[in-house]
Amino acid sequence: MADDVVDVLIIGAGASGAAVAWSLVDTRMRIVCLEQGDWMNPADYPSNAANWESQSFGPYNIDPNVRGLDTDYPINDSESDVTVVNFNGVGGSTILYAAHFPRLHPSDFKVKSLDGVADDWPIDYDTLEPYFAQNYRVMGVSGLSGDPLYPPKQLPLPPLPLGLVGETVARGFNALGWHWWPSDSAIISQPYEGRDKCLNLGPCMSGCAQGAKSSTDITYWPDAIRRGVELRTRCRVREITLNDDGFADGVFYYNADGEECFQRAEVVVMACNGVGTPRILLNSTSNRFPNGLANSSGLVGKNLMFHTVGTVQGLFEERLDSHKGPQGCCILSKEFYETDLERDFVRGYSMQINRGAGPLKTAMTGYIDGTISWGPDHHDAFRQRFDHVASIGIIGEDLPEQNNTVTLDPVLTDSDGVPAPKITYSYSENSRKLMAHGLARAEEAMRAAGAVEIISDGPKPIAGYHLLGTARMGDDPESSVVNHWGRSHDVRNLFIVDGSIFVTASAVNPTSTIQALALYIADTMKKNLANLFD
Amino acid sequence: MPDLVSTHHPLSEQEQLLLSVLLDTLIPASKDGTMPSAADMDFKYYLSTQAADFVADLTWMLGKLDPEFPDLLLSERCKQLTEFSANEPQAFQNLLSRVYDCYYQDNRVRNEIGVVTGAVFPQGNQIIAGDLALLDPVIKNASRHGYRKT
Repeated sequence: MADDVVDVLIIGAGASGAAVAWSLVDTRMRIVCLEQGDWMNPADYPSNAANWESQSFGPYNIDPNVRGLDTDYPINDSESDVTVVNFNGVGGSTILYAAHFPRLHPSDFKVKSLDGVADDWPIDYDTLEPYFAQNYRVMGVSGLSGDPLYPPKQLPLPPLPLGLVGETVARGFNALGWHWWPSDSAIISQPYEGRDKCLNLGPCMSGCAQGAKSSTDITYWPDAIRRGVELRTRCRVREITLNDDGFADGVFYYNADGEECFQRAEVVVMACNGVGTPRILLNSTSNRFPNGLANSSGLVGKNLMFHTVGTVQGLFEERLDSHKGPQGCCILSKEFYETDLERDFVRGYSMQINRGAGPLKTAMTGYIDGTISWGPDHHDAFRQRFDHVASIGIIGEDLPEQNNTVTLDPVLTDSDGVPAPKITYSYSENSRKLMAHGLARAEEAMRAAGAVEIISDGPKPIAGYHLLGTARMGDDPESSVVNHWGRSHDVRNLFIVDGSIFVTASAVNPTSTIQALALYIADTMKKNLANLFD
Repeated sequence: MPDLVSTHHPLSEQEQLLLSVLLDTLIPASKDGTMPSAADMDFKYYLSTQAADFVADLTWMLGKLDPEFPDLLLSERCKQLTEFSANEPQAFQNLLSRVYDCYYQDNRVRNEIGVVTGAVFPQGNQIIAGDLALLDPVIKNASRHGYRKT
């Protein structure tokens, strides 16, 4: 194996790793992807079973520390206000994501210029626009063109059904004169590219057995593999090695049997998300980079951003059939997306309308919040609530701060002995003020929609869905880790294509933009093959 | 398959009696008779197929109950369980989640609350497409809602 050199080695087979592999295969280079998890079998997903809800609390839990699979790595979040959630396997976190798929706004790339906070990105919306469109086509995205909050864009598939939940909350937004629009959703509303359409089963966030949710194991990967990419599962990368010339020359990894292996490579592409990527970089030390690979700026692992997340649930007298339909994909409002100088915080948030819970979650949540008792009154309370709830999720922009970090835990390791990441994170004062505003406005929307009872909760702790900013992009090597096309400033054959290169977080789910970035970086690599390392 | 035909019960007869009354206390049948009691569920089957890891905790909890629990009035049983839930909140929450998990998988229950019973494929769920004319006010206000120029 020591003499077996691949042209491009990709670490991670999730949202960005799949996209970059799919694009680079055009070059006919030899491309290998190492993924620490397994292929998923959709027949195993809980939505096939009546106990799908309890499975989603256990073996399909979004929290890797609860799931505890040996293909996961533990995460020390004891010093974090937020718990990291992710999934490791072919498809990565797209296996368990909600598939809510909005793009960043043009303004999100210019927050320093527009609002005087954080930093501008070295690229803009127009740079990524062709790749957003390409990604929408490959993934299969449903939605409605014409949202006035975006430049014109086309959706490959018509929107998912609003359902009674969407209609009800939309009427509330209309009563207040607020913006809303059907969500861009990576869930196919019509048969598409050999996949059948969504059946409105509900449990998207424990895997889609129908195959209607566009996870990359059923979108990018089959085509990339057919065209020549080699994907090796159960291969956990420990560190990236460096040659005497300062170029990455391979990786050490553990195979399914726990054996240490070495894979040489001409180019290394990291696609491990905003926690996994800094973890490997920080674990790749050398004389040249004693504080972690590609870390001359000292910024690897810093500026960790999630989104500030809260929920407002409205109880309605009329039945909303709210357990039916994609949980996280319905409509969204961007009424409070941008900075308003009359508020006491900067930047803003989006409101993502979520459908209701299944019966088990309804009953247990009701017990915990005191609204559904056990005992003689259980049935009446349950009937009042089950299928009568709509929910607004607040997704607030989280600004970059260097004290929010991913570091290596000095004690905790994964099953192969690789140091686990440690998260140090606290909500900023801006985030708390933003969340208070968002919860109050969402309550207002629920009242306008006719809710008879409202429960608010935020910022929520189990909300680390979006892992961003820990190897930011920029033109200045002193204030960024990679350049404007994802290449390390320090190591010229090392690229990063995942959410860690975000400069700012925006206030929307990031997967759409992560994948557009990966496609853009791959395309830029292809255009610069002759002088890739100059 | 052995679980399906076994006559072995992981609980003693006394524990089974306690469990039955406990289940009926946590979720009694509805007054209108449409919803069954949790005691009517096949909790033994649930334990053997989905919750074998819970048997030890359940046995421990049953041992904490007053031996006279089955003979008490409903109000007294509820009072005892309320006290138990205050003293052992995690254990009680675990118990409740298992009981609810078993109960809301039952086809009689699911049918009554409007959840698909049996195989979910290929029919799935039907929900209304929704009236996109509701967007008219948003479109009319497009100039106000328009994206921020950079």
